Amino acid sequence: MIKIEHLSKRFGNLEVLKDVTVEIKTGEVISIIGPSGTGKSTFLRCINLLDRPSGGSIRIDGVDILDPKSDVPKVRQKMNMVFQSFNLFFHLSVMDNLTIGPIKLLGMSKQDAEHKSMDLLKLVGLAEKADSYPDELSGGQKQRVAIARCMAMDPKIILFDEPTSALDPTMVSEVLSVIRRLAKDGMTMAIVTHEMDFARDVSNRVFYMDEGIIYEEGTPEQIFDNPQKEKTKTFINRIRSFCYHITSPDYDLYAMNAEIETFCEKQILPVKTRQNLILLVEEMLQICNPLLSTILLDIALAYSEKKEILEVVFEYTGEAVNLLDKNLLPDELGLTIIQSVTESIDYSRLDNKNRLTMILKRV
Amino acid sequence: MTIEIKKESAALVVKVTGRMDAVTAPEYEKKVNELIAEGETNVVVDFEQLEYISSAGLRALLATAKRIKGKSGNILLANIKGGVKEVFDISGFGTIFPMHDSVASALSALVG
Repeated sequence: MIKIEHLSKRFGNLEVLKDVTVEIKTGEVISIIGPSGTGKSTFLRCINLLDRPSGGSIRIDGVDILDPKSDVPKVRQKMNMVFQSFNLFFHLSVMDNLTIGPIKLLGMSKQDAEHKSMDLLKLVGLAEKADSYPDELSGGQKQRVAIARCMAMDPKIILFDEPTSALDPTMVSEVLSVIRRLAKDGMTMAIVTHEMDFARDVSNRVFYMDEGIIYEEGTPEQIFDNPQKEKTKTFINRIRSFCYHITSPDYDLYAMNAEIETFCEKQILPVKTRQNLILLVEEMLQICNPLLSTILLDIALAYSEKKEILEVVFEYTGEAVNLLDKNLLPDELGLTIIQSVTESIDYSRLDNKNRLTMILKRV
Repeated sequence: MTIEIKKESAALVVKVTGRMDAVTAPEYEKKVNELIAEGETNVVVDFEQLEYISSAGLRALLATAKRIKGKSGNILLANIKGGVKEVFDISGFGTIFPMHDSVASALSALVG
């Protein structure tokens, strides 16, 4: 159905997609996972030409949509996209949001469009909201309307770009259950998501994206239970993760702490764990501080609910050095504090980067 | 972090509130150093309202303590509890500094 070969996308000097070659078949549900900033959303946006690819080809039912001669609007009607931020028309009622596309673009009569839209609203459980306006709906309801609006155009494939990222945790499940239902009905879908349980459950195939390519692909079982490549393994181990990049000694400690607090709240971690985590990160940053003008530091947190393990990874550039080596520290104060709140500390060198992996003590 | 200073007969009481971390510890150090430079020799630091301390805070405390010792003065700590106390205990600072359960107890120790 969609055949993508050697797709690339550059933004100025930044190469977001390097060389993506992949095929999506009719009826497949593909989940696209991976760390932030690895081109997942750009990949989707390139497929329906919201971002113009820099190179490669995208064939939809045999038609190369990058060929200047192809009728792009017509091809594009075969796919539709659901965005993180809903993108509803806020001045239109729910019903009008659904009917405007079919009436204006497909030439459908108002009556037919309304009839069909009502069926779709029933499908997403929102028939009674047909006359409401988007502002009167919750986030979950808005996203369900957005999905119904997509369906109103009779797409052959729906692209979902992090459809639950902007929702309160309480509203995620209502949106996911609608997507699950579409999957059950045989809808072809490509879904960029951070909801890993959902990805595992709903997909036929999972693409793990990293470094601007589809780094590894496979069935959910292969990717989640038995990933083959190093970065996929690392990512899967850090599934419930948070990442913070520090690029200068003038980093904002409090902004970072606020993000760590938010991560901990989402994972429902005990207050004491949060305090120890914030202490650990600050101590590590103090140790790294003299080097922060010359190295890049990534802090990744990953919580495994099953194992009840909170892993903290400090990955930094520069020559191979374990910054917690006693012989290199001016004093052991920070190290003593770090050791007291961690169960284990491991140093490794991977991909020309230093990595300190720590497991926080349970409280 | 906020720092409140109150003059008692036996010492100056420095009440710290909030967080004593890499961002705020220099403020504490600067303030207490100014007080020492003005001639204060006895200081009680009240931790009643301190929620968090890191090694940056401990280092600032140590630096001011050394400075005051150099002037034959004393720095006493009061009301250290909870997570802050744990950091003192972990780091061994609990044995370096005389710690008191209350400001009153610290003040009377100075008089006594």
